[in-house]
Amino acid sequence: MEFRGLFLPSLLLFSCLTATCYGMVTFSSLHRTLVVTASPTPGQVLKAGEDQITVTWSFNQTFQAGTDSTYKTVELKLCYPPISQVDRAWRKTVDDLKKDKTCQFKIVAKPYSSSDNSCTWTVERDIPSATYFVRAYAYNSDNVEVAYGQTTDSQKATNLFEVQAITGRHVSLDIASVCFSAFSILSLFGFFFMEKRKTRASQQK
Amino acid sequence: MEVPSKTQPLFSIPVDSDHKATEFKPFDLSSPHMRAFHLAWFSLFSCFFSTFSIPPLLPIIRDDLNLSDTDVGNAGIASFAGSIFSRLAMGPACDLVGPRMASATLSLLTAPVVFSVAFISSPQAFILLRFLIGFSLANFVSSQFWMSSMFSSCVVGRANGVAAGWANVGSGLAQVVMPLLYTLIMRFNVQSSMAWRIAFIVPPIFQAATGLMVLAFGQDLPDGNYKHRRRTSKEPKQKVFDVLFNGLKNYRGWILGLTYGFCFGVELTTDNIIAEYFYDRFNVNMDMAGLIAATFGMANCVSRPTGGVVSDEMGKRFGIRGRLWSLWLVQTVAGLLCVLLGRVNSLWGSILVMCSFSLFVQAASGLTFGVVPFVSKRSLGVISGMTGSGGTVGAVVTQLLLFSGSNKFSTQTGISLMGLTMLLCTLPITLIYFPQWGGMFCGPSIEPDSINDDYYLLV
Repeated sequence: MEFRGLFLPSLLLFSCLTATCYGMVTFSSLHRTLVVTASPTPGQVLKAGEDQITVTWSFNQTFQAGTDSTYKTVELKLCYPPISQVDRAWRKTVDDLKKDKTCQFKIVAKPYSSSDNSCTWTVERDIPSATYFVRAYAYNSDNVEVAYGQTTDSQKATNLFEVQAITGRHVSLDIASVCFSAFSILSLFGFFFMEKRKTRASQQK
Repeated sequence: MEVPSKTQPLFSIPVDSDHKATEFKPFDLSSPHMRAFHLAWFSLFSCFFSTFSIPPLLPIIRDDLNLSDTDVGNAGIASFAGSIFSRLAMGPACDLVGPRMASATLSLLTAPVVFSVAFISSPQAFILLRFLIGFSLANFVSSQFWMSSMFSSCVVGRANGVAAGWANVGSGLAQVVMPLLYTLIMRFNVQSSMAWRIAFIVPPIFQAATGLMVLAFGQDLPDGNYKHRRRTSKEPKQKVFDVLFNGLKNYRGWILGLTYGFCFGVELTTDNIIAEYFYDRFNVNMDMAGLIAATFGMANCVSRPTGGVVSDEMGKRFGIRGRLWSLWLVQTVAGLLCVLLGRVNSLWGSILVMCSFSLFVQAASGLTFGVVPFVSKRSLGVISGMTGSGGTVGAVVTQLLLFSGSNKFSTQTGISLMGLTMLLCTLPITLIYFPQWGGMFCGPSIEPDSINDDYYLLV
């Protein structure tokens, strides 16, 4: 029992040391010690720039106490599940966290505390339309990831919600576009017409 | 018996018997020849700028329109496919209505397509848009035709090379300017999705302006426009079908189309893949990768004109034989450098090889259009169109075969394979033979002095 008690923290410490030794932290080396919940119900569609998400997170008490002794800050991010990554290499999940593109939008960063953490965030205007989940990364004092938690399962297939982006289309832009295009075409035909008149005039002379 | 002499129009630039300029003076605007040069390269520059204005903003557009990698790839291929057909059509159009009317019409009719970027909101619309915008690249054919009509054979390579080279810079400049425009617009607190749409108002305004300038200040020939040219008895009225058929049955046009596909086509493909290649293989950041891609495109400013100058110099000393040999040599060296590019393992080595490769492959494009004006006088437009179109076919083929997602081999292997195909497809230049000037290995078979005006109908 004591060995098991020592095993997890020492494993975590060792993986931290290896990370700083090699400079590369892999997602598979992190343990899911945080419990994260988010307010959107599965399949709910949120409007970018308008709707809000309330996220709560805490340390999972089933892990040995002291496991979270190295956690200094927590960052919550909006992440893409596999369904949003199909045929989109710029959102690819890679084990090396420096190259990983799964989580591209930061929700909030706060100092770590083991319980009673929550935050309400308005979905930013620039978030693109896709399906998402929320993940929390715990960082140590060297700003290296040491643990995580997420609102979905390990397959990243359940409890996902959608964001509907703001369309960039606007009536004024449409009108400007049409006007410029009309000018372009009309000026071409205007030139044709003028040239024909000139030729007719010179022929009449 | 005294023959009344015609009043010779005065040109500020020395001309030959056809009134084509025998000197190339890029900083002189007074003669119609040099005005035509500046109008031609500037309007083509705006078309290149419009066509290549989308790639640098793709990271934002792809999320905004919910595009997948397949959609982006298809749109890239569509943009070149559009230009294949339009370049083929532009050839006969120039032969019939003249380059001024043809190029201005194209510029002014494709500008509304770029304006329509404001309306698109689906992947299908995006692909269609890139297909239609690609049509504007046909102005390359009209610019080369225009230069070949205005400049005499001793400087035509130079004129063609400088016009196309300076115009090609548009593709590199777009990679730098469009992201800057987007960032600038965002500073006014405009939301990202609207900012990129607003940024796309700028390229078509520029394009329409150049089209209008061509109409207002340009003329097709040194003596005036096509409409007013006097047809002597030696030049019977052209029929569309005759002009077209005459060009299509000339085997030299097909060979040049193939070789151009593997110099200019390779250049277009490299423009598309090189940033990602450096980003993925050598882990440079996105800005550095974009800068490398832009450098490749902007080298055109000097390398393509150099190709044209080399062609003219070799032509002066050795005739067509010199032009053909220099084309084959330069393109072969480009192919070897391309093979090398795929094999180099260090970042700076790759950059060095890529720079040398850009110089040679772009010079080869310039050298190709040092040969094209000599293939056919009657069907100059059709031959220019076939060659120009072959360039984009080469781009589509190399992209599909070597750099689409379904490949089993890596990008660097693809690059080396591309170099190998370049070496193979450059060999047919050895087969080009002109009866009055010779070819790479054979001398002329008919006396150049026996050329009379009937020969005009033969070519």
